[in-house]
Amino acid sequence: MATQDTAGSIALPVPKRRLPRQDKYAPYFFVSPFYILFTIFFLFPTLFALVLGFLKWNSMGTPEWFALRNYERLFGDEIFWQSVGNTAFYCAASLFIVVPLALLEAMALNAKQLRFRTFWRAIYFAPIVTSAVAISLVFRMLYNKDYGLLNQFIVALGGLPVDWLGNQGVAKIAVMGIVVWRWTGLLSVYFLAGLQSISEELYEAAAIDGANGWQRFRNVTLPSLRPVVLFVSVIVLIGSLQIFDDPQILFGSNTPGGPANAGLSIVQYLYGRGIGQLLYGYASAVGLFLFVVIFVLSLVQFRVFRGFEND
Amino acid sequence: MVTSLTARRINTFLLNFVVAVGGIIVAAPLVWMVSASFKPLNEIYAYPPTIIPDNFTTANYNRLFNDWPFWSWYGNSLIVAVLLTIAVLFLTSLAGFGFAKYRFKGSNILFVLLLGSTMIPFQLVLVPLFIFMSQLKWTNSYWCLIVPFMAPAVGIFLMRQFLLSIPSELIEAARIDGASEFGIYWRVILPLARPALAAQAVLTFLGAWNSFLWPLSVLHSQASMTLPVGMSGMMGGVTAGSEPPIGAAMAAATLVTIPVVIIFISVQKQYIAGLTAASVKQ
Repeated sequence: MATQDTAGSIALPVPKRRLPRQDKYAPYFFVSPFYILFTIFFLFPTLFALVLGFLKWNSMGTPEWFALRNYERLFGDEIFWQSVGNTAFYCAASLFIVVPLALLEAMALNAKQLRFRTFWRAIYFAPIVTSAVAISLVFRMLYNKDYGLLNQFIVALGGLPVDWLGNQGVAKIAVMGIVVWRWTGLLSVYFLAGLQSISEELYEAAAIDGANGWQRFRNVTLPSLRPVVLFVSVIVLIGSLQIFDDPQILFGSNTPGGPANAGLSIVQYLYGRGIGQLLYGYASAVGLFLFVVIFVLSLVQFRVFRGFEND
Repeated sequence: MVTSLTARRINTFLLNFVVAVGGIIVAAPLVWMVSASFKPLNEIYAYPPTIIPDNFTTANYNRLFNDWPFWSWYGNSLIVAVLLTIAVLFLTSLAGFGFAKYRFKGSNILFVLLLGSTMIPFQLVLVPLFIFMSQLKWTNSYWCLIVPFMAPAVGIFLMRQFLLSIPSELIEAARIDGASEFGIYWRVILPLARPALAAQAVLTFLGAWNSFLWPLSVLHSQASMTLPVGMSGMMGGVTAGSEPPIGAAMAAATLVTIPVVIIFISVQKQYIAGLTAASVKQ
């Protein structure tokens, strides 16, 4: 230590104290675990997946070159396209049902006139932490054709019982029931944070200008929430694209895709081919398809993130 | 004006009414689940449904503990979630510190790489990672649920955002006092990062606790299963003719869900802070 030399010599001028420099290598050590783990467990498997997509490899057999035939088969498989259609349905329904509902929920939970606000927030946010598997088991019972609570209500109100899990027409709606239950609370957390960051003065100014409730919502709330709406939309789209737990449990292990695969999602299709049937090469082609779709969406999300940083 | 006052009262009433109805709908499946777990099968099916069971029974819980290795699933879930949380807290705060408080060659490129890595969906690596784990003979073990997920990019990003707000003078002062770089992390940064660590801990624990797709892919022996994987098989493997284990499944779902919901209500603030920190920068 340079500073200790001056201890005994009073006459000498005290040398300027220099800040000790940061260690050159420390930051590399600090950030390295991520890159090591990422390379071994994600980057390497990703590259491997790209190669796998061109191979015919079914667990026990030796891999053989398959060129584009995995992709030809995949794009020629009706069930695959069915799973793509179903997943698109989940995405669209989430976007147009869950996002507006979450905004309404956040506004209601943010209102000063609401009594027991903390209590209601706890109730409405409880689904966020609930295990998807557990709640899907519960919904499976509630949807039961003969004894389920939902049909009992419908019959009590004079309607006809619906075969929620066995009818091709309503299977997707049954899945959406869980999705709405699970996702609305999560998204409204983001909206609530957004609402709370809107300055009170904007509303006061609008009120002085004589704006009514709807006009205040239209001209103050919505424009201020624009980045949050974007962020939430991307989150819910990527989440719906990856939907797996809910339909898998709801329809059970015998027919995980529901009646005639009417509820089968892309990830369920991937899981069934890759882990269920051990068609490694084929399933990797499905994974790559999903990756391309999510990659495009993630680029949008990245821009949204950057937008936040620049604000 | 009297009319606008009445209008406001009606609005307030409507708001409270709608929130209450919605709240009941949201709570209903959870209430039904807990209630059904204490009912015999015929009462589970009965209409109108009872909230407090008429024929209160713990038979469902006894059946759950006798017919399925429920407590080993619980132990597995708990061990994995706790070990993963500890590892994630350590590695994300360390890396977040590195990115927030050091200038070093290549840090920008490394950081962009970190953000870019979040674009790889887990489903893309599901199959190759599964093959890799089989080769390592890591399937049916805790390792494959913990090691790959110990340094999540989003968590590092969250930590960096938080640590940027810690004044650099504190770090320089510690350095003048002769602290090592790791000593600075351990004695200065970690204590200051407590709020961010708390949020990270809750997020990580819950993520691990509720995780399903990956554990389902790599855990095949009953003894190695986590709760969601074990529960998912409960409705399938029952011999024909015996009573469907609806009550037992609801008992399992109750024991998985209710402790977590109670913990959540008590740490709601940290959890929500964690969720929003990663998204809405204010």
